[in-house]
Amino acid sequence: MLRALLTCLALLFCATSPARAQTPDLQTVLQTYAAEVADPGRQTVDTVLGALVDVGGPEVQTFLERWADRGVYQRAGDGRFFYATEAGDGYALTDPATGTDAGTASRAEMTQIRPNGGVRRVIASALVQFQLSDPDPARRIAALDAIARSPSEDQLGPLRASIEDEPDDDIRARKQRQAGMLAASFGATPEIRIEAIEALSDEIAVDVRAALNQILATRPGVATTLPQDANIARTLTPGEDMTEAAAYAQLVEAGLAQPVQGRDAIKAALTANITEGSAGGVPLGQLGSEAARARAYEALAAAGSVPPLVTEADRQAALASHVFYEEYAEPDPAITTAARAALDEIETRVLLWQGLDLGLDSLSLASIYFLAAIGLAITFGVMGVINMAHGEFIMMGAYTGFVVQQVIPDYTLSLVVALPLAFLVTFGAGVAMERLVIRWLYKRPLETLLATFGISIALQQLAKNIFGTQARPLTSPAWLDGAWILNDVAGIANIRIAIFVLALVFLALILFILKRTRIGLEVRAVTQNPGMAASMGINPDRINMLTFGLGSGIAGIAGVAIGLYAQVTSEMGASYIVQSFMTVVVGGVGNVWGTLAGAALIGVLQKGIEWVNPSNTLAAQTYMILFIILFIQFRPKGIVALKGRAAGD
Amino acid sequence: MTQGLFHQNRSVAWFLLALALFVLLVTILSEAAGNGYLSTSFVKTLGKTLCLMLVAVAMDVVWGYTGILSLGHMAFFGLGGYMIGMWLMYARTELIIADSLRAAAIPPTPEEIRDAVGQQIFGVVGSADFPWLWIFADSLVLQLALVVLVPGLLALVFGWLAFRSRVTGVYLSILTQAMTLALSLYLFQNEAGLRGNNGLSGLQNLPGLDAVPQATLSIWFFWASAAALALGYVLFAWVVSGKMGSVIRGIRDNESRVRFLGYHVESYKLFVFTLTAVVAGIAGALYYPQAGIINPAEVAPIASIYLAVWVAIGGRGRLYGAALGAAAVSLLSSWFTGGGAPDINLGVYTVQWTDWWLVLLGLSFVAVTLLAPKGIGGLFDLLSRRHPVPLRTGDFGPDKGARRTVEGEEEK
Repeated sequence: MLRALLTCLALLFCATSPARAQTPDLQTVLQTYAAEVADPGRQTVDTVLGALVDVGGPEVQTFLERWADRGVYQRAGDGRFFYATEAGDGYALTDPATGTDAGTASRAEMTQIRPNGGVRRVIASALVQFQLSDPDPARRIAALDAIARSPSEDQLGPLRASIEDEPDDDIRARKQRQAGMLAASFGATPEIRIEAIEALSDEIAVDVRAALNQILATRPGVATTLPQDANIARTLTPGEDMTEAAAYAQLVEAGLAQPVQGRDAIKAALTANITEGSAGGVPLGQLGSEAARARAYEALAAAGSVPPLVTEADRQAALASHVFYEEYAEPDPAITTAARAALDEIETRVLLWQGLDLGLDSLSLASIYFLAAIGLAITFGVMGVINMAHGEFIMMGAYTGFVVQQVIPDYTLSLVVALPLAFLVTFGAGVAMERLVIRWLYKRPLETLLATFGISIALQQLAKNIFGTQARPLTSPAWLDGAWILNDVAGIANIRIAIFVLALVFLALILFILKRTRIGLEVRAVTQNPGMAASMGINPDRINMLTFGLGSGIAGIAGVAIGLYAQVTSEMGASYIVQSFMTVVVGGVGNVWGTLAGAALIGVLQKGIEWVNPSNTLAAQTYMILFIILFIQFRPKGIVALKGRAAGD
Repeated sequence: MTQGLFHQNRSVAWFLLALALFVLLVTILSEAAGNGYLSTSFVKTLGKTLCLMLVAVAMDVVWGYTGILSLGHMAFFGLGGYMIGMWLMYARTELIIADSLRAAAIPPTPEEIRDAVGQQIFGVVGSADFPWLWIFADSLVLQLALVVLVPGLLALVFGWLAFRSRVTGVYLSILTQAMTLALSLYLFQNEAGLRGNNGLSGLQNLPGLDAVPQATLSIWFFWASAAALALGYVLFAWVVSGKMGSVIRGIRDNESRVRFLGYHVESYKLFVFTLTAVVAGIAGALYYPQAGIINPAEVAPIASIYLAVWVAIGGRGRLYGAALGAAAVSLLSSWFTGGGAPDINLGVYTVQWTDWWLVLLGLSFVAVTLLAPKGIGGLFDLLSRRHPVPLRTGDFGPDKGARRTVEGEEEK
């Protein structure tokens, strides 16, 4: 450590002092340490590096890079080192110190120097100091990345020195952050460190939290009394902060107690001490109960052939007579207190950002549910037709997108073509289904459910026969690939933003069609009272057909959107159908705003439950459905309930 | 009452007769009788079909007679299977473990065996402890009680919640489907304590009966399934006949009117829903030891929709129709998907039924719904050439304004 510090100081000295010319030149230094350069080992390389860093300058940086890349060769004759590139039968040589051409040499003359992996890592970390001031910004960033990967004390000096001359604002900010983090961990005095730690409390990034957590790293300890000189993080009570078993295991590990003989240990001890058909004076036939085995073991223990049984009382006594604690690796309590305060402050802010991120996630999930359900909100909600094949219309739309992508390779263009095409395909399918099947069943809603289910399984199997069982990719265009990242905690993929926008567009479109157009007026009239609507000169058959087609067409477009972020399979529709129905039912049948409210509620709820129990999305779905079942108990007509005649009862 | 039952439902006697003949025939032809015209696996298929017929009859009562399209009865069926499966798996593993521990010098303790059984059963889901669900698993009697109690209680609680808030029709169907989905998602979790998506397996081996060949076991289960179907059929025939049957059908046709007549509609619906759930659980408990394995996919909503499909194809509102529908569709299905049906060569394309059977089923289902709402059971009307049930028994209304077969005409 001391040596490394000296190196830093020396480097600082070099960088600022005009006395640099007096230092020996590169080749001289190389010759001084010729043996270590030629055959670098983990132990010896430090000496060479120290001397080389003293020399400084771009030629040393080049040399270190070439050295690590196995580009340095030693000439057998005079032991001098050169960069060599293959030229004809031999090598063309370059002098490392001057960078000038140094003639050629035959293959036999030159020995390639091959530092091993460990040595190359050491060289790389020495190189960081040079790279921090490299003219190429990419390399400066690479150097910063290297520091972030393995921070160490000796990087602090060069990093600080390089901040002032940094031309790029972004990189300078990063350097300052990195220097702050290094200072927090490796600052020279506690005051400097505390100041650096307090400065970090405004941050939120993962690496800052990692740096603080590293300062706050603890190790478990156990003793009869709490040690006075240690920096104690907290004391632990067995049974509350830790399980009694874990506490006792810690005692055993520290050599402060005997291990408890478990069932297997007792059995093994008894088996080892069987004499003439009995163990510990108890016949083998009676050893089929825990009590008898304990009795036999105690008899053996009394005879001294096995260690005495550790009873529950012994265990409790051992636990009670010791104190369990966590001790900071950092000895200075002032620093750990400051780090804890900074981390708490950061974590509060992280929590807020996480809340925002959760909000974004829920919004995105809600818009997917909304897209999947909006078509259903028209066919089921407005017309009252249960269409179990709605999910298959979604699938049909997604496969349309897939087929278009096979024909048109440009992803943006194919998306532009696929969206209207998916609408047309599913519109046609919807109209056909309405004409052929559903219109005969308007008076028998439960049978609509079954007939459309028949269509659903037929369509699913048909898709399986045509496209196979494996998932088909629907690739999104490059401009949808990225993500909108606010910071390390919150962010959202562009594709989800696009789906959200699409959902908004559809909401507006549907509302416009239903509320502002002639056809919308007719749809509402027919759904409220077909007989009266017919008397007013509206053709209910035509309107039903068009409405059903519209709902199905929207399902097709939703299919393209869903296919962009999920896999396209023949079963993709089936996974949305129950959720979609629930979205419509929870939101309130017959109302587009209700569907929106239902999708929002289900999306927020599902993400919320997932956040509480992140490891288990299945449980989240289970609890969500249970919640919906209970919700319908209290609001059977959904969130936005229609009133009066429109309610239809 | 019994006479009235047979009088009102002449199908009961015929059904029982046909079932008895069928059981006799299968028993004579089975491997257990020594001649082996029917393989053991086919006898198992027939036994399973009988269980499916039983659950279809239950479904017919709840849907065809009461008008509740429940998409959750296969969940009750699966729950019954899980309950018996727990005991089968526990008891058999316990025997195997006890056997292997017997080789040790010291006899095993009960705790030791229980831990080893837990290790064996739950090793696949990375656990070794028995979840609380399994506290009764060592007792056959208690697990058999659970076969009835668990589906019954679930149906009771769910039905009470659903019916009291007057959720009806399509909404009720979606709600029951949601319940089924929630249950299957719950069972899919390893934490639920029923081995997640591994399910329970090895159920075809009855503990302590290793010496009995599967051929004999299969015929025993076949008899048991047939007996359960016969009892279930008689029970449901009784439920849907008489005054109660009238009320139930009244609820199907016009729930509000029955309510205004002073009947407590919710209690009737709850009774039918719970009773059918219990019978479904029993059918499941007989089905899964023959199938050998149960996993959460069997509980998924699609299974319950298929159940509705069987009943609809068989013909709603008549018990034998539902039973026939279940038998026909499930046997045809296993014939088509099992590669029994010959491929059709169309020159440009060969129709392989394993791929196209579901398309055929789906389309024929649409066709039955549209063209033959009475299903297979409707064929029997053609045989008897008359209306199956008179439109109305007893006096017609007082004047011409009351409902008549032909509007405004005096009844003869």
